[in-house]
Amino acid sequence: MAEPSTPVAHNPLHTALLLALILLVVAAIAGFFPPALQRTVTQAMIMLVVVTGLYTFCGNSGVFSFGHIAFMAIGGYTSAILTILPGKKEVALDLPVWLEQIQLPVSVAGPVAVLFAGLVALLVGLVFMRLRGIALPMATFAMLVIVYVVALNWQAVTGGRQALVGLPRTTGLWTGFGFAALGLFVAALYDRTRHGLALRCSRESEVAAAATGIDLERERLIAFVVSAMIVAAGGVLFAHFLGTMTANTFYLDLTFVTLTMLVVGGMRSLTGACAGVALVSVVSEVFRSIERGFSLGGTTIAAPPGLQEIVLALILLVILLLRPHGLAGDWELTLPGRSQR
Amino acid sequence: MLAIEKLQVNYGSITALRGVDITVAKGEIVAVIGPNGAGKSTLLLTIAGVVKAKAGSVKFDSRPILGLAPEKLAASGLALVPEGRHIFGSLSVAENIALGATPRSDRDGIAADTDKVLGMFPVLRDRYRQRAGNLSGGEQQMLAIGRALLSRPKLLLLDEPSLGLAPLIVKQVYDAIYALREQGLTVLVVEQSVNRALNAADRAYVMSGGAIAMVGRSSELQGTAEFDAAYFGAGQRDPGRSPA
Amino acid sequence: MIVVQNLIDAISLGSVYALAALGIGLIFSIMRLINFAHGELIMVGGFVIYALAGNPMLVMALSAIIVVTILALGMERLAFRPLRKASPPTLLIASFAVSYFVQHVILMIFGSRPMGVDFLSVLGESFEFAGLRVPRLQCIAIVVTLALMVGLVVFFRASRIGVQMRAAAEDFTMARLLGVKADRVIAVAFALSGILASFVSLYLVAQTGTVSYKMGVNMVLIAFVASVIGGMGSLTGAALGGFIVGIVSVSLQAYLPEELRPYRDAFVFLLFIAFLLWRPQGLLVRRASERV
Repeated sequence: MAEPSTPVAHNPLHTALLLALILLVVAAIAGFFPPALQRTVTQAMIMLVVVTGLYTFCGNSGVFSFGHIAFMAIGGYTSAILTILPGKKEVALDLPVWLEQIQLPVSVAGPVAVLFAGLVALLVGLVFMRLRGIALPMATFAMLVIVYVVALNWQAVTGGRQALVGLPRTTGLWTGFGFAALGLFVAALYDRTRHGLALRCSRESEVAAAATGIDLERERLIAFVVSAMIVAAGGVLFAHFLGTMTANTFYLDLTFVTLTMLVVGGMRSLTGACAGVALVSVVSEVFRSIERGFSLGGTTIAAPPGLQEIVLALILLVILLLRPHGLAGDWELTLPGRSQR
Repeated sequence: MLAIEKLQVNYGSITALRGVDITVAKGEIVAVIGPNGAGKSTLLLTIAGVVKAKAGSVKFDSRPILGLAPEKLAASGLALVPEGRHIFGSLSVAENIALGATPRSDRDGIAADTDKVLGMFPVLRDRYRQRAGNLSGGEQQMLAIGRALLSRPKLLLLDEPSLGLAPLIVKQVYDAIYALREQGLTVLVVEQSVNRALNAADRAYVMSGGAIAMVGRSSELQGTAEFDAAYFGAGQRDPGRSPA
Repeated sequence: MIVVQNLIDAISLGSVYALAALGIGLIFSIMRLINFAHGELIMVGGFVIYALAGNPMLVMALSAIIVVTILALGMERLAFRPLRKASPPTLLIASFAVSYFVQHVILMIFGSRPMGVDFLSVLGESFEFAGLRVPRLQCIAIVVTLALMVGLVVFFRASRIGVQMRAAAEDFTMARLLGVKADRVIAVAFALSGILASFVSLYLVAQTGTVSYKMGVNMVLIAFVASVIGGMGSLTGAALGGFIVGIVSVSLQAYLPEELRPYRDAFVFLLFIAFLLWRPQGLLVRRASERV
């Protein structure tokens, strides 16, 4: 088991820069891939945005959140409502006239959606951050269920059980890359602030942090809002990647997959977040293609659906068992010659 | 009965025990004394299998026991009464005592030993069916010791049995310890209260900073300059202050 | 009259929630694991009944109980025992993984579509009693739950292993110092939670007549809420929490304005958040009872 270590002394911006360069190479290579595989890489970039957001809260505070996917949903639905053609909204939804008539380009609607999610996170966080111990993860869980139930039933705004269709599909490989890199830099910038440092100090012990004068409630709230906004940006990207919105997309399965990425890579490190997304995406894609079937000597062999998820669950269990702090632990990618821990 | 050699224990990067050697012969009462933070409790917890050792060896009845689970050690005749007593507050006194006999299955023997313990601490008989959490501190200490005896231990480890108790109760607890010695029980007792421990024990080890600073027969240790130096640190004796 | 009718609904629903919450609370009290995979025990019980459809009722029920108990023991042995020293959040994540694993094994075998099962459908019929329509299933749920609870109380008070489990729940290390075998009490706890889960399966399948690989999720979420409300670590609390959530759910269903009824679960979880703020340690646990 990795030793608990003091907050890292390296410059997180260097890490973000190096990781972004790697992403750039990946995106450039993926440009030559067939469209289906290109979409897989794009989706991985979007997931990286989400996991980077999760890292910002969970990684720095040491508190698991089971509710951040709700911010993806909030970001996605908000952007959907602002970008879908008024005619389509009139048929599918039952919005107030001004909201029905509005139609913004994604470049405007996206930031509005992210700010809105940030506002929700601020209000929710003001209440939640008063909780300590296991009560806080529990509350985030409750938030996920509430947002899901509302999304599933609020026919007038979300389309309810029907998929909301007709979102402009603007998220491509390079948009995905751009926001993945942006997410990394935002997370790194936050890490560098004294707020990030204070929060990491509180990770080992809530009591000790309080004793050193850290205002845990405030520091956690700041991280919560920042991370919710990054995650919401991932939600906007994902919505405009899929082109449709359903409540079921943003519930337990996606929560599980993103948490797996975070934990497998190592939730205490930005490099770990990237490694987790990469590993889980590659494994998923490999098993997805096995599930689709491949031909071997004239006969097509296909694994039954479900295999992909089973393998993911096993990977997560093995990592929890052997490397509870994930593949990366506390390690960060840094510029050569400055590799301090 | 108990032979500890070069025992080393770390908590993370902090060394709690740095090479401790202790022997306890059958039928002896041995005290380990020393100031707060000397590593006394860690020592007992390591012997009992709760804390993992980094290096060294512990032999009980000439068998190496480091790394064995606490429940295995309890079954082989080792009983620890930890600091703070750790009685089960939501269980009855009767249930607490019965739990002491977990490794045993001889019904008649258990009943006889229960009776013996209740004879030794009559107050427990009065409160036999009550919640153990409602007992006073002294009664809880008696319960903790009585419960430990129910496993018929060969070696009893006692951690600060007098901590926070009224002098009268402390005397009662120590009288029980003497009586047990008469019956052939071996006892390793950890104390901050020097006089109490030296009076009760045949031999004593003085611990400081995770190591043994001094060892000798109790009667020889008391009042010597070396002892004061080992216990208080050289030149820090304050004659007006009692070490408890 | 409608109030009494609602009360019967609330108590029967609450008793099923209480069974589910007891399963969660039992494991938590012994090893500080919030077992999300408890829902999958319930789900697998449903699929055992589905797979054995057509056999005598007793064969289906007993098989479900046996298979689910074995599955619970298997989870403990393969996933949770190696992680015993891990922190509660890590354990929770691990139980997520186990849950996801079991769900998709079932998906692999039976597919993702919900499937109909004819199990005890006669119990869906109601009988009239003093002007009330009481479905038989509700009565049986209440009676069975009470019987199981009495059984549990007797087990924890009178049996040696039961007393050992109560001791382990209060102070695990001290219990081990007295010779209580850690592996044994934890295994027994999982076996009991499996038995409790299988009874929830029986009820769910009889009531809904369908099985699906996601059928355990809702129940486990409710059971979570119930066990936290009662106080994690207190079994009486878990049962109490189950009844409270049952009463709250039925009341919301009955008294919410028509257009808000679909949001019932959102209200349940909103009230849950409010409860966490008011009393995060639960109703029946005192605050300073964190284990050292």
